[in-house]
Amino acid sequence: MTNNVDPVTVEIIRNSLNSCADDMNATLVRSAFSPIIFEGRDCAVALHDEEGRTLGQCSGVPVFLGNIDVCVKLAIERYGEDLQSGDVVIMNDSYLQGSHLHDVTTVSPIFFEGECVAFAATRAHWQDVGGMDAGTTTSSTSIYQEGLRLGPTRIARSYEIIPEWEELLRLNSRLPDALIGDLNAQISAMRYGEKRMTDILDRFGVDVFLGARDKMFENTANNERQLIAGLPDCTYKAHGYMDNDGLGDEPVKIAVSVTIEGERMIVDLDGTSPSVEGAMNCGLPQTLSVVRLAYQSVINPAESINGGSFLTLETRVPEDCLLNAREPAACEWYFSPLGLLADLIIDCLGQAMPERAVAASYGDSMIVSFTGRSAERGQWIIFEPTAGGWGGSPGRDGESALINLSNGTFRNIPAEVYESQVPVRIEEFSIRKDSCGAGERRGGCGVVRSYRTLEDCDIALWFERSLTPGWGIFGGHSGSPPAIEIQQPDGVVHSNLKMRPTRLPAGTLVRTMTGGGGGYGNARNRAAELVALDVSNGFISEKEARDTYGVMLIGSEHADLEEA
Amino acid sequence: MNKVVSSTGSVRVSADIGGTFTDIVVQDQRTGSTTTRKIPSTPDNPANAVLQGLREVSETACIDYFIHGTTIGLNAVLERSGAKTALVTTKGFSDCYAIQGNDRRDIYALDYRKPRTLVPPRDIFSVRERIDAKGRIIESVQMSDLDAVIEACERENYEALAICFLFSFKNSVHEIQARDYLAAHLPQLSISLSSTVSPEWREFARTSTTVLNAYTAPPVKRYLDQLVGEIRQIAPMTNVCVMSSNGGGMPANTAGEKAIRTLLSGPVGGGIGGEHLSKLLDRPNLMCVDMGGTSFDASLVVNGKVALSSEAEIEGLPIQTPMVDIHVVGAGGGSIARASDGTLRVGPESAGSRPGPVCYGRGGVEPTVTDANVVLGRINPENFSGGAMSIDKTAADNAVGNLAKTLGMGLEKMAEGIIAVADAKMADAMRSITIARGIDPRSFTLVVYGGAGPLHAASIARSLQIKEVIIPLFPGVFSAWGMLQSDIRHDFKTALLSPLSSLDLNVLEDGFQTLAEESTRLVQAEGLETSKVTNCRFMDLRYIGQEFAHTCPLPDGPVDIANVVTAFHEIYEDHCGHSNPTAPVEVTNLRLRTTCHIEKPENVAADPDTNRQYAKSVFVTGDSGGKWIDVHHASRNLLEPATVYDGPMVIEEATTTTYVPHGWDVRTHESGHMFLRDKEA
Repeated sequence: MTNNVDPVTVEIIRNSLNSCADDMNATLVRSAFSPIIFEGRDCAVALHDEEGRTLGQCSGVPVFLGNIDVCVKLAIERYGEDLQSGDVVIMNDSYLQGSHLHDVTTVSPIFFEGECVAFAATRAHWQDVGGMDAGTTTSSTSIYQEGLRLGPTRIARSYEIIPEWEELLRLNSRLPDALIGDLNAQISAMRYGEKRMTDILDRFGVDVFLGARDKMFENTANNERQLIAGLPDCTYKAHGYMDNDGLGDEPVKIAVSVTIEGERMIVDLDGTSPSVEGAMNCGLPQTLSVVRLAYQSVINPAESINGGSFLTLETRVPEDCLLNAREPAACEWYFSPLGLLADLIIDCLGQAMPERAVAASYGDSMIVSFTGRSAERGQWIIFEPTAGGWGGSPGRDGESALINLSNGTFRNIPAEVYESQVPVRIEEFSIRKDSCGAGERRGGCGVVRSYRTLEDCDIALWFERSLTPGWGIFGGHSGSPPAIEIQQPDGVVHSNLKMRPTRLPAGTLVRTMTGGGGGYGNARNRAAELVALDVSNGFISEKEARDTYGVMLIGSEHADLEEA
Repeated sequence: MNKVVSSTGSVRVSADIGGTFTDIVVQDQRTGSTTTRKIPSTPDNPANAVLQGLREVSETACIDYFIHGTTIGLNAVLERSGAKTALVTTKGFSDCYAIQGNDRRDIYALDYRKPRTLVPPRDIFSVRERIDAKGRIIESVQMSDLDAVIEACERENYEALAICFLFSFKNSVHEIQARDYLAAHLPQLSISLSSTVSPEWREFARTSTTVLNAYTAPPVKRYLDQLVGEIRQIAPMTNVCVMSSNGGGMPANTAGEKAIRTLLSGPVGGGIGGEHLSKLLDRPNLMCVDMGGTSFDASLVVNGKVALSSEAEIEGLPIQTPMVDIHVVGAGGGSIARASDGTLRVGPESAGSRPGPVCYGRGGVEPTVTDANVVLGRINPENFSGGAMSIDKTAADNAVGNLAKTLGMGLEKMAEGIIAVADAKMADAMRSITIARGIDPRSFTLVVYGGAGPLHAASIARSLQIKEVIIPLFPGVFSAWGMLQSDIRHDFKTALLSPLSSLDLNVLEDGFQTLAEESTRLVQAEGLETSKVTNCRFMDLRYIGQEFAHTCPLPDGPVDIANVVTAFHEIYEDHCGHSNPTAPVEVTNLRLRTTCHIEKPENVAADPDTNRQYAKSVFVTGDSGGKWIDVHHASRNLLEPATVYDGPMVIEEATTTTYVPHGWDVRTHESGHMFLRDKEA
């Protein structure tokens, strides 16, 4: 191996690895069958070295990117030397890879001159992997109710799915064609990755490639060490509560401490609730992934992740903890507590680095799901997360109506697409006035999204963060918590934030309201012109301007100003 | 450059407005002889440079035809200087435009902000009305809600108004009623309807497209009215056309009404030039690269046709109109090189045109790609931009030298490294463009133009494993040249969402018939010769449940659905690497493209401009490391046609410099275009 690869070659190889991952992801998105992948981009792609360390990766869903390496290592452990070019290993086990069973990871080895030199990997959301309810379930109490569970399993040879495996997968899904279509899209992406990696290795040779890899890891690790060493040694703490586990009424505590100790950062989740009965447990790898995501977002947001990342970061999770799920804990909604966890870690890091502090966000995926069966459409499912408000920061207001941290590049489904596909009409999609946390830099507003059912169908809801909404920092106020109003045509009204699949009659109105982001700094210090602009743009009411910001607006003519 | 056109006959003229120069290309209608000139641009009123060029040309020739790439609409968007615009939406959806896609494109940014829209929420109004997914009226338009809009228009002096109601692509009656009501009260207002501008589903993308049209229409119309008026005085008989983003020309009177179609009016010329080269040189697949001092754009020609996109973005805002798929890939020569974590980073920061590279001597201090080229002798300080601009080589040496010290490298190695990283990044970005379309870049020929492109052409090609590069005639004014190769082209579309299995052929024929009538009306209004008009039909198809649709051409004659399905599977396989012949297919849009052929003579290069050749020291990268050697420099016109010259060699012409590295050779085609070939491939 060459130890002295010049900085130019290191940079060319680093760029080409990330570009390769981007192209793999483009291949996956282009050829996927399910809207949640091609429209929602609920997928991610990464390249790893022969030990499973990250070489390059592509943005998609950020919570996937911090732990695909775990799956590559599992595939290596399971098959080792037995892996051949064109083999595809898949897995979705919640305890091994951390997520729910819908998220399916694929791993393929990349060979060069007879040696396994790298791995291509993808993860994508499969819409239906069996389980007690179509699409998603809110009421599972064990993993066995959530669908087909796969440990690392070789499912294809020479990139062709083994026929008996295809039959098994098809038999376990309500949407078998989409499932196989999506799996083939993932395989296409990995095939592309192999081809491109071979080109890169052809050009540079294995020695230079490995030398550049080591240099790249070393540079990233050194950079992170310096960044952490520059912070004062101290311990910062934060905690909050999830509303409940989806079954009972008990709040569920999430507690975090962040300790800076020289060049190391220790994130400890001691004090966090034990496993819960409801489907809100999360396997350790996803917990680690979110710790990494929060760390990356504050410490080094402009840099890409590789095998040198996170070497300064240590995460401690108690044995019996809902963020360290053990069989048979239910994990369908694993991502929900992770939103609060991320906000808490960001809060701790903001105490350590006040210039990079950001107030908490609305913080949950806020899922609305409708399912039904009709003569015209057969079985249908539609499922989407909802945007909300983000936190203010020094010099900047939080953004309104933006998707939560764990859903990254997810775009809302246009009403015209939604209504063309399912018998549900969207009657409103708007900014939720006065939901933003007040502050010198205010939080962003949540949204109002209203659905009218046109046929009898089942609705499931999972809205969180009413006990711990997006909180303010340095004197800023909290954003509004989420709210739900369901009005049946017979006058029955519900306001539950979580709802297991429930049959609703045609004509029911489901009005969902997501929370706002927390404010930064004292609201009384906000410039009066900005308050006036917020009123004219509909983010806050005149009453809020007067009562919270102390700004009286006279007449309807407002200053013609640009937003901060 | 400023040569007199020798013929006193009639000429065809094109103009492309750049940041520094307005490029003019003049072609003799009879002999095809072509000359170029560069006029300093006049940013305060871009028409002035164009008119100056036309006046100069008209002194010796009669201008028959003039085609023009305008940047007025694009600049209005970039500078947020368009018309003060209001937006009217369906009640409940007034925030749709502000919410956008609600996605975060930078996944680690905690303070992410969305792209800035053109109309703030306070200028958005909503009206009670509703049409459902099948186009049925659920609630009719409440005209009284429009009175608030009228009142606001009078108070706020809006110049333009966009109307976008839900499902108007299915049934436009509400938008038309609202427009008629508003127009009756506000006759001065420029109104854009989403059902006219972009009859396609997805309310945010359609709203964004309609707003872009409303916002740019008044300035574009004002500009063209003035330009056409003044041209009438210089050359009364001239046909004035404007380049459309779809790669065709359109008469100026149409362009004023369809401002949205002029947004990429300038840069598409290069793609059209590429399409012409593809036929002339028999190279079906081209990757066309325009690299200026501070910009780098790429477009594709696939199977002889310039690649279009129906889902583009401008400033992060979606635009639903067929456009030549131009990818802004980076900053080109202006990309800044820095040390970070012990490695070299090049870009994405750019020195722009102000201060520009260090060697421009305008206050730049951080080394750029252009500075690295100066250090290595690949840009000759005495002959940059034909000597029009002076270059400070010492300053470039110092800036690159400082970076070299930081990273522990020699000066030349550093300069080579900056260029290598920049070239590899540009190559990566270009590869992504092809991969996202499911195409292998190795089957392409690279066409490189723009002031800085031909210096990097061979290196970028090698990174992409492309063996052949074309440096066209007039590489410094290629976009303007390309405009002269275009025909008049109009695109029409209508939404039709239906599984093919249950598609009623009468509905299909009716849809195309409606588009054909729309086309005929426009052709008549423009006074085009109907004998030269051809129509081509397309269907946007996809597997049911998928989002991305593929635009598939239909043969003439009655539509045979079975053949359409087979063709779709093949196109899908081409793009995605697999297809699913058992899966049901659905149509989403019908499209009609109307082309009116314009007579064009063969291109003939005009007389040579200089006859210089000399040897000069250049740092050449070879198999065993780089060294300074005396390299042959020659004026382009001294290359004998069909003779092969080996690299390293530097070929100079007034608007650019081509670097032929070690391991490459170069020959000139009889048409005057130049081929570079990788001898090692």
